Amino acid sequence: MPQQRVVLKNCEVIDPERIESYLAKDGFKALAKARQEMTPEQITNEIKASGLRGRGGAGFPCGIKWEGARTAPGDIKYVICNADEGEVGTFKDRYILEKDPFTLVEGILIAGHAIGAKQGYIYLRAEYHHLLQHLQSTIDQVTQRGFLNGFKLEIREGAGAYICGEESALMDSIEGKRGEARYRPPFPTTSGLWGKPTIINNVETLMNIPPIILNGAAWFSQMGTERSKGTKVFSVSGDVEKPGVYEMALGSPLRELVEDLAGAKNIKMVQIGGATGRVLPAEKLDTPLAFEAVLGAGAVTVYNRSRDVIDIVHRTMEFLAEESCGKCTPCRQGTEVMAEVLAKFAKNEGSLKELQNLADLSSAMMLASMCGLGQAAPNAVMDSLQYFRGEYEKRVAS
Amino acid sequence: MCAPDHSKNINRVGLFSYLIVEKKISLNINGINVSARPGLTILEAARENGIDIPTLCHIPDLLPIGACRLCVVEVAGSRTLVGSCHTPIAEGMVIQTHSPKVIATRRVLVELMLASHPDACLICDKANICELRRIAADLEVGLPRFRARKHYFPVEDENDRMVRDMSKCVQCRRCVMACKSQSGQPLFSMAYRGFDSKVIYGNDQPLDRDACRDCDACIEICPSGALRKPRKPGEERADKALFIKG
Ligand SMILES: Cc1cc2nc3c(=O)[nH]c(=O)nc-3n(C[C@H](O)[C@H](O)[C@H](O)COP(=O)(O)O)c2cc1C
Ligand code: SF4
Ligand code: SF4
Ligand code: FES
Repeated sequence: MPQQRVVLKNCEVIDPERIESYLAKDGFKALAKARQEMTPEQITNEIKASGLRGRGGAGFPCGIKWEGARTAPGDIKYVICNADEGEVGTFKDRYILEKDPFTLVEGILIAGHAIGAKQGYIYLRAEYHHLLQHLQSTIDQVTQRGFLNGFKLEIREGAGAYICGEESALMDSIEGKRGEARYRPPFPTTSGLWGKPTIINNVETLMNIPPIILNGAAWFSQMGTERSKGTKVFSVSGDVEKPGVYEMALGSPLRELVEDLAGAKNIKMVQIGGATGRVLPAEKLDTPLAFEAVLGAGAVTVYNRSRDVIDIVHRTMEFLAEESCGKCTPCRQGTEVMAEVLAKFAKNEGSLKELQNLADLSSAMMLASMCGLGQAAPNAVMDSLQYFRGEYEKRVAS
Repeated sequence: MCAPDHSKNINRVGLFSYLIVEKKISLNINGINVSARPGLTILEAARENGIDIPTLCHIPDLLPIGACRLCVVEVAGSRTLVGSCHTPIAEGMVIQTHSPKVIATRRVLVELMLASHPDACLICDKANICELRRIAADLEVGLPRFRARKHYFPVEDENDRMVRDMSKCVQCRRCVMACKSQSGQPLFSMAYRGFDSKVIYGNDQPLDRDACRDCDACIEICPSGALRKPRKPGEERADKALFIKG
C-alpha cells in the first residue's frame, strides 16, 4: 500500500502562512456546511458513523466523546486541542501545525459547534514555542475573515512535562495548577476544564473532522480496518534511510512503512507508540498498524541489529520514571524500581529472581495505576522479555 | 516546582452530585446483592455493608485523593482495577473486593511503599500506631521483593508541635488535604515529580519554629512515622506497646 494523504493532503501544497491559499483548497467549506446545514446532533452522529478514533494514543471513539459533551448539562463548555506531542519519537503534530494549521482550526470550530462550546484552547508543547507566532497568525487570519463567529480560540503553552499531554493533567496545567493526572469519573465530557463539560482531542483527530464533514462518514469508513477507520500519520525515526512523517491507511503492515517507505535495513526491533508503546521483533514486521494490533500515537522507532535491547528498554524506563507525575504508588515507585533493576542488567549484574519479580510488578502497575502512563509503563519491559529474553539472561551476574 | 493548588472546595459533599437520582442503586459485592444510595463511592457502599477495604490516602468526608491505590477492587467489565475510594457506584455493578488478583496487587503496592522506606520501625515513635505496618501485616507482606533507593531527608525538629521526617513519608497526601480543610493557607503542598516528588513546606524548607501552631490535624491523620508530635520518654504513649508475634 502506498501513502494515502487525507490528513496531510494540504501539507506542502498550500502556503501555511496565507489563508487565501487554504480557501482556494475548499478551506472552511466544511465549517460552513456544519453551521448552515447540520445540527450539532447530526454532526456528532456523522462523526460516530465515521468510526473515527482518537489519534493521541488511546483510540477512544471521537463521536462518543463529542456526544457526551454535547448532551452534558451546562452553558459553558470547552474544546481543547492537545498539541503537547510529548510522546517519545512523535513529530507528526508539529509537521501538521507547521504545514496546515488552517484545517486544524477549522476542525476545532466544527467541534465547538457540535458540542456547543464558545471557547477553545490549543495546548502547545513547550518545545514548540517557535510555532507560537505562526499559530497565532493563523488564528488572527481566521478571525479577520469572520470564521470564528463568536468563538474564542487561545493558545496555551506547556512547561515541558510529558504528563501534561495526559488529558486530565493538561487541564490542570491550563488551570494554572501542578500538572497531575486526575481520577475518572468524573470524565472531562461532564466535568473537565474548570469543572465544565470539555472535549479534548489530539491535533490529528481534529484534522480528520473537516474531510469527514465534507465527504461524509461512508467515504471515511471505507478506509482502514473493521475497528480502525481512516488513515494514520506516522512519525518514523531511528535506523532508517528516510526518517519523517508518512500517512497510510490504517491496517497497513508495519513492514511497508519501515522497509518500503522509510528504507530500514537489518531491523532488530521496532518500538511503536513511544516510551509507553509496544516493542516488536523483526519477525513480527507483518503486524498491521491498527488499534486492534499496535498503534499508539503512531511513533515508530526502528532499531537495527547493532542496537542493544536492554540499553533501549533501560533508557525508556528512566524516561518514564523521571516523567511520572508521582501521584500514585504503582507508577511513582514501580518505574523507579524497574529503572534500577534494568540498570543492573545493563551492567551485567542482573538476577533471574528479579526477572520473575518484574512480571508481578508489571501486572500491578498495569492494573492499579491511575493514568495511562503507569498503566502502560511496563510495556517495553514485558514485550522485550517476551521476544528477547535471551538478552536478559545473558546479562545475569555469574 | 509548580504553584500549589489552593482550590477551596475540598469537601466531599457534592462530588458525583450529577449522579444523584431518587432511586437506590443495586449492585453486587463479593457475590452478595446489596443496595445503596446513589452518589456513594464503592468504598462507602462496601463499608456500609460491613466489607472492609484497606485504604491509606482516604479521609472520610473530604474529596478523594486517589494516590495510594490500596483501595483498588475488581469491577466486572473494567480493563484495570478501579480505585474504590473515588469511583461512584452504578446500577448493576459487580465488584470483587478481595479476589486473588486484587490481593496480589495490594501486596505489590505495599511492597513498593516499603521498598524505599527506611528500615527504622524498631526505633520509630509511631511504630505501634503505624497504618502502613498494620496494612502490611494484614496482607502478610514481609520483606519486600523490590528495592529502590531510599529518600534520606534530615529530621525537621525545630517546631515544638510537630516533628517531620520525610524519609518515612508514603506520599498519601492526607496531610495536604487535612490542612487544606482546616486553614485557608495550607502549610503543605506537592513538589517535584516521579520518585522525587515530595510534600513540601513553603519553598521546600525545613519546618521552622513558627510554621504552625493551630491544630494537629495533619499529625493525627498521617499514616506513617513521617509526622509526629515531639515526645520525651516517660510521657504519654500513642498506644499500647507493639508486639509482633511470629
Ligand atoms: C502520559 C500520557 C501522555 C499523553 N500525551 C499526549 C500528547 O502529547 N498528545 C496527545 O494528543 N495525547 C496525549 N495523551 C492522550 C490524552 O490523554 C488523550 O487521550 C488525548 O489527547 C485524547 O484525544 P484523542 O481522543 O483525539 O486522541 C497522553 C496520555 C498519557 C497517559
Ligand atoms: S500513573 Fe504515574 S503519571 Fe499517572 S497518576 Fe499515577 S503517578 Fe501520575
Ligand atoms: S507526611 Fe504523612 S500524611 Fe503527609 S503525605 Fe507523607 S505519609 Fe501522608
Ligand atoms: S484509598 Fe483509594 S487510592 Fe488511596
